[in-house]
Amino acid sequence: MANMKTRNHIWLHLGLISFTLLAIYPVLWVLALSFSGQQSVGLIDLPQDPSFLERLRAILPVPEHWSVKNYTEVWTEQQFGRWLWNSVVISLMTTLLGVFLACTAAYAFSRFRFPGRNTGMLMFLVSQMFPGTLMLIPLFIIIVKQLELGNTYLGLVIVYATTSIPFCVWMLKGYFDTIPYDIEESALIDGASRLTIFWRIILPLAKPAIAITALFSFMTAWNEFILASVFMESEANYTAPVGLRFFVGGFSSQWGYFAAGSVIVSLPVVALFLQLQKYLISGLTAGSVK
Amino acid sequence: MTISEHLKRSALPGMAVAMLFALVLGSWLFGAEMADLHLQHRQRLAVLQANALVLAVADTDAAGTRKRVGEMQKLEPRIESVIIVAGPQLLASTRPGDGAPRQLKREEKPLYDLSNLIRTARETNRGEEVVRKKTIQIDEMPSGRLVVTLPYLSGGEFAGILQMQFDGSGYPRAAGDTFPFPILLLIAALLAGAALRMQTQKKVDPAKLIALVAFLLIVLFYQQQQIGRLEQVVKQDNRAIATQYLASAEQLDRLGYLPLLRDPAGVNHWDTDDYERPRGVIAADGSIAEEAETKQLARRAGFIRPILWAIDLFAVAVLLFFLYGYAGRAYAAFREHIYAYIYVAPAMIGMLVLVFFPFSYGITLAFTDTTLFNESLPFLDRLIGWGNFKAILGDFNIYQDTAEGIIWNYQNFYWTLMVTVVWTITNVVIGVSFGFILAMVLNTEGLRGKAIYRVLLILPWAIPNYITALVWRGMFHPQFGVINQVLQMFGLEPVAWFDGVISSFLTGVATNGWLSFPFMMVVILGALQSIPKEMYEAAEVEGASRWQRLRHITLPLLKPTLIPAIVLSVVWTFNMFNIIFLVSGGEPSGANEILVTKAYKIAFEQYQYAYAAAYSTVIFMILLVYGFFQTRITKATESF
Repeated sequence: MANMKTRNHIWLHLGLISFTLLAIYPVLWVLALSFSGQQSVGLIDLPQDPSFLERLRAILPVPEHWSVKNYTEVWTEQQFGRWLWNSVVISLMTTLLGVFLACTAAYAFSRFRFPGRNTGMLMFLVSQMFPGTLMLIPLFIIIVKQLELGNTYLGLVIVYATTSIPFCVWMLKGYFDTIPYDIEESALIDGASRLTIFWRIILPLAKPAIAITALFSFMTAWNEFILASVFMESEANYTAPVGLRFFVGGFSSQWGYFAAGSVIVSLPVVALFLQLQKYLISGLTAGSVK
Repeated sequence: MTISEHLKRSALPGMAVAMLFALVLGSWLFGAEMADLHLQHRQRLAVLQANALVLAVADTDAAGTRKRVGEMQKLEPRIESVIIVAGPQLLASTRPGDGAPRQLKREEKPLYDLSNLIRTARETNRGEEVVRKKTIQIDEMPSGRLVVTLPYLSGGEFAGILQMQFDGSGYPRAAGDTFPFPILLLIAALLAGAALRMQTQKKVDPAKLIALVAFLLIVLFYQQQQIGRLEQVVKQDNRAIATQYLASAEQLDRLGYLPLLRDPAGVNHWDTDDYERPRGVIAADGSIAEEAETKQLARRAGFIRPILWAIDLFAVAVLLFFLYGYAGRAYAAFREHIYAYIYVAPAMIGMLVLVFFPFSYGITLAFTDTTLFNESLPFLDRLIGWGNFKAILGDFNIYQDTAEGIIWNYQNFYWTLMVTVVWTITNVVIGVSFGFILAMVLNTEGLRGKAIYRVLLILPWAIPNYITALVWRGMFHPQFGVINQVLQMFGLEPVAWFDGVISSFLTGVATNGWLSFPFMMVVILGALQSIPKEMYEAAEVEGASRWQRLRHITLPLLKPTLIPAIVLSVVWTFNMFNIIFLVSGGEPSGANEILVTKAYKIAFEQYQYAYAAAYSTVIFMILLVYGFFQTRITKATESF
């Protein structure tokens, strides 16, 4: 019996290993391309009529010559540094604004019973149902054409911040609800103002939840492609996603720069994601049941 | 007396606020209408001249056309330049140094495109025998310049386009608003309000009634007076255009280019709308057709009246709100909860301005025919009602049955809808199956290295999906892509992935499958781990087979987790813009577009903003229906 179980596991391991290799192949491929020092989409120049082994060599995710040229040149030769900077600034500003707006609103929804409270919370929930494309065209006309905020940080930041608010508000409200009201009551009796309580008591207590919402806002802005590509028309104002597309979209095919840039852009989010995935999953599925 | 008491007793605050509402909204509306009229006046004058140009050169040869255009431009100093484009050729131009006739230059390709656009618009209108697409295009430039483009006809047939640049800056605005007038009305209302004291106890209170009647009288008087002013301006404009028409027509008559029709019943082809239809307000001899003008006025009033009624209704509601003491109570409540409102306000204002306003803007846009080229037109001229929705949903031209077999119409909405549905179902099925199998495998008891597998298998989900999409696009590269190398390795022919409908669809499915199975895997794994082991043990003791355990324990217990996850992933896949847009781009020729990418392309590659807004509204409706069923399904599973 025990013998059979181990044998089963060997087959399972074989299956799992081959599937996992297949699953992470694209990742290895990008890594290989980024260290290959060349721009073509093929890792190896194949001869005219390649043999089986030569083709096998071509698909192995190992560069022909190891080089960090793509990583250095993407900073020096290309505007990638600038795009990355744009993305960093926009994402940080989005996070600040989004978290500030979400914290205050969530606090009010959690702590006060006031006329219009339910309507307000419902509004946040309903807004989640509006599809992106339906918002895209009016936002483009209003922000870019009417307010002329195209090609500016501000235009993208206010849109990103407001789109991330509803999720953040619901998430933070849930957390604030778990903080006992007694603490605030005694502070009120001691003569603390509402603002002091919010700043000195609630926010420090809610640090973990605020950190999650901040990271969520940050990642929303960091990974967003469509709005950025519509809002940012001039090359100098691209965000990293739009810039990466620029490397390989249309007529240019600088796959090496793309690969190096992708690795740089992905590393922080992948690391964050692996850390935070359990919160995200519980948040997502909880939201959909409500 | 506190403010809240005051609000309950005196009619003054109610009168003031309601009157301010009515007057501010009213003057905003009338101001917008005035601006609209002003815009229309300038555009009509420009179109008048452009039509004259087209009519004057319709029956002459190329050389004659150049001569006439040149002379006419000198006659009217406000015509800054005229060019005529016929096919790939610049037939005539009054711009110095243009050297017509010559071929169009590369940077002048937009003119060629515009010519084709107007030609198709004309053909559509003819073919459908309804006037749907505008054939005269007006662009407002900075500093009051107008660029009018319209079909250039030769021998009654479409031969190209004529583009005229017109200086429309010289017209003074219509006489300024009589500013003190609304203020006088406001003061009258305030006096009436101050004179009235209400008795809070009584239900039927004469003071309230008097306040209401006085309010309505003042508001209606104001609005009637403003409508009168509008009509005045419309009439003035018609006469000014008629004068201009007569002056220009007489000059052309003298030159012998275009005989002035002296028949009062004759149709004036100079003063047309954007579909080249004569407006009929000005007759061929320059006289005003009273009947048509009355209709014109009625149309404008018909647009403005319902809005005025809405404003009146709103203002009366505000007044009653104050008169019956609700304002006082609301104020008291506001004072009591002031902290809450201050905390909520920033987020709420942001949502209203950047989510709810754009949303309603988008819906409104869907009922117009706005494109990049006619944004500057008056709103009323762009309003077309349900036209876009009829064009999207009423177009059943899905395929053509020809001798070579069936040819699908990839641009049709229902084709795209079908692709989207197939796309969604395929992807969700793939995601759930792979996720389920992997979760079952990883849940095996005593399996070593679970954590490592889990982290590696989650990677595809962690990487930003636009990067994933671009990477897969590279791997599907027809010449150097890895996937074709593998095929060739086993002696198969390489596939031109993005050239075939099915193969192109598969590229999207492969990419999306790759990035979507980890989510399902993680969700299912979590649910599996929460199933108590005792249940399986008990079943095993009872002699249940593997299949029976799966069927009667695992699946029912997975359901509450699985269904919300599927519901969520259906919406995600349905809206998966990045994968389609970045991997295949909907190739070949838009066959693999899903609804959201199609809407994007209509908006930002064809610049049909309104049509795209209508398209998005339809998508929203589909999601709404889905959401409705989703909540029912989720509720049904919760009761299990």
